[in-house]
Amino acid sequence: MPTLVSVFDLPGDVVAAVTKLKKRGFDDIETYSPAPFPEIDEAMDPKPSLVRLFTLIGGLTGVVTGFALQLWMSWDWEIKIAGKPFASIPPYVIIGFELTILFGGLLTFLGMLLAGKLYPTFKLDEHYSPRFSAEEFGVVVKCGDRDVAEIDALLRAQSAKEVTLVS
Amino acid sequence: MTPPATAAPAMSPNAMPQDSQANVDIMSVITRGTSWQWMLLLGLALLGVAQAAATLAYQTYVGLGIAGYQAPVFWAVYIVTFVFWIGIGHAGTLISAILFLFRAKWRNAINRGAEAMTVFAVLTAALFPLIHIGRLWKFYFLIPYPNQRGLWVNFKSPLLWDVFAVNTYMTISIVFFFVGLIPDFAIARDRTTGLRKFIYTILALGWQGKSGQWKAHNRTVLHLSGLATPLVLSVHSVVSWDFAMSIVPGWHATIFAPYFVAGAVFGGFAMVMVVMIPVRRIYGLEEYITDYHLENMSRFILFTSNICGYAYAMEYFIAWYSGVEFEQTSFWLRAFGPYWISTWCMITFNVIFPQLLWFKKLRTNIPFLFVLCFFINLGMWFERYVIIITSLSREFIPAAWGLYIPSLAELSILTGSFCWFSMFFILFLKGGPIIAMVEVKELIIHEKAHGGAH
Repeated sequence: MPTLVSVFDLPGDVVAAVTKLKKRGFDDIETYSPAPFPEIDEAMDPKPSLVRLFTLIGGLTGVVTGFALQLWMSWDWEIKIAGKPFASIPPYVIIGFELTILFGGLLTFLGMLLAGKLYPTFKLDEHYSPRFSAEEFGVVVKCGDRDVAEIDALLRAQSAKEVTLVS
Repeated sequence: MTPPATAAPAMSPNAMPQDSQANVDIMSVITRGTSWQWMLLLGLALLGVAQAAATLAYQTYVGLGIAGYQAPVFWAVYIVTFVFWIGIGHAGTLISAILFLFRAKWRNAINRGAEAMTVFAVLTAALFPLIHIGRLWKFYFLIPYPNQRGLWVNFKSPLLWDVFAVNTYMTISIVFFFVGLIPDFAIARDRTTGLRKFIYTILALGWQGKSGQWKAHNRTVLHLSGLATPLVLSVHSVVSWDFAMSIVPGWHATIFAPYFVAGAVFGGFAMVMVVMIPVRRIYGLEEYITDYHLENMSRFILFTSNICGYAYAMEYFIAWYSGVEFEQTSFWLRAFGPYWISTWCMITFNVIFPQLLWFKKLRTNIPFLFVLCFFINLGMWFERYVIIITSLSREFIPAAWGLYIPSLAELSILTGSFCWFSMFFILFLKGGPIIAMVEVKELIIHEKAHGGAH
């Protein structure tokens, strides 16, 4: 399958190129950016990241764990102190809160690893180049033989610095 | 089929027409050879850590008697230093999380250094409760674990809240720090060879800047910032409640939580300056950490210094206004009792000296800022010393008053804590990018896009 590797200088051009490619129905695209530009990610896939769900689940698990832990432990061995209830909610808010943050944060991190498919690996994409960790953007498009010319023209029209056909 | 417009040779994976200047400059901190000055500093730090470790071993063997604890003062330099280091950490989280949420882009150049500082400061602080309990091997009593006696920890105690708050803070700071480092590790992976490349490859987790990766990363940074912001405010509040929940005169005040948080940010910013000013000078990073950044930081310092000044004044006012004789005596003796030197050091260094920052000439005078921030750090340490020691040594009945003087052992471990912190920082200079390259480039590319080129 022919693959076109193009190099861009500006994120705006990448967004335009990706949008146009998608509109023409070329979906097998990958972009490489040296810095975070949410507009590119948006153009590639408008769905919000799955990480949101992980934070929510983590936070809820944390708050439930925090309160359940304290309440159960307080009632498991009851000690009367200064006539106060064995379990009193107001002071328990603090550890409940801390565990919300702890579980929420850890699950967010896990979510990032899963949603971004990040794991220790020595295998990088075939068309990845250290240029894309400098200041240039890469757009890699896979397409059928008959579409090569059109995509090439389209990429150049969006100020691609280089377009290379590798198959 | 029309032939492709470019039949050029495939891009060779290492053909790099021009690396980003930001990458080159910041990576050079890591890749340039180690200088003898660096070795010397590391050696000194290790020496300091070693002597503190020896003191700790001796203290563990003979008991807490070698600390200067003297009835009624049983919380002393170890606790002072614990609060001091926890406070130092706060600036990092403030810069990386709160300024991120406010979209204050100037933070991009300093956030890595500040985050690293947070992690190392919390790693330093976390040692002190253990050193303070004396019987190191019983630290696990703090954790709610099922035991033979069927007992659980006391969840109504601020000391236990502290265990949870500090451990959460430590974990989240490390996670936040690492998440920010992943794209930078990828940059380092692409620009190093041999063992270094191997390590960075593993740490970079296969990062290539793909849109799916950035999407997950951006979301994660946003959410972690959202979580870390209330967390950082809670941590020092909880630390302050270690004191404020008791009835000791001088501690029992509702202002403590905001007062401690502001003080923490104040001291932390000063520490960022003390650390980053020499780093940017030695490694020639003035182009990235500019005078503009330092000036912004000094505005923060001025602002938080005034909050501290207000809190100091309010403490005295409330002590007088409350009509409680014990409070009044405690505060009178704070200023004019046996510990008057530390109190006046605290007021001078934390409130009076920073007022000089009203002048732009001084805000942009780097050597002045360095010296001022050094004194602020000293002042912040004295602040905790004043709060803890003067209050404890002058409680209710004059017959039960006492005088505490720090012992050699405590000073040795205090020195060791600074060396321990420096050791991590010195090692990190050679281990990871001290400026977030990705975030600097974000600004550079933005500028390119809107700077008239197009």
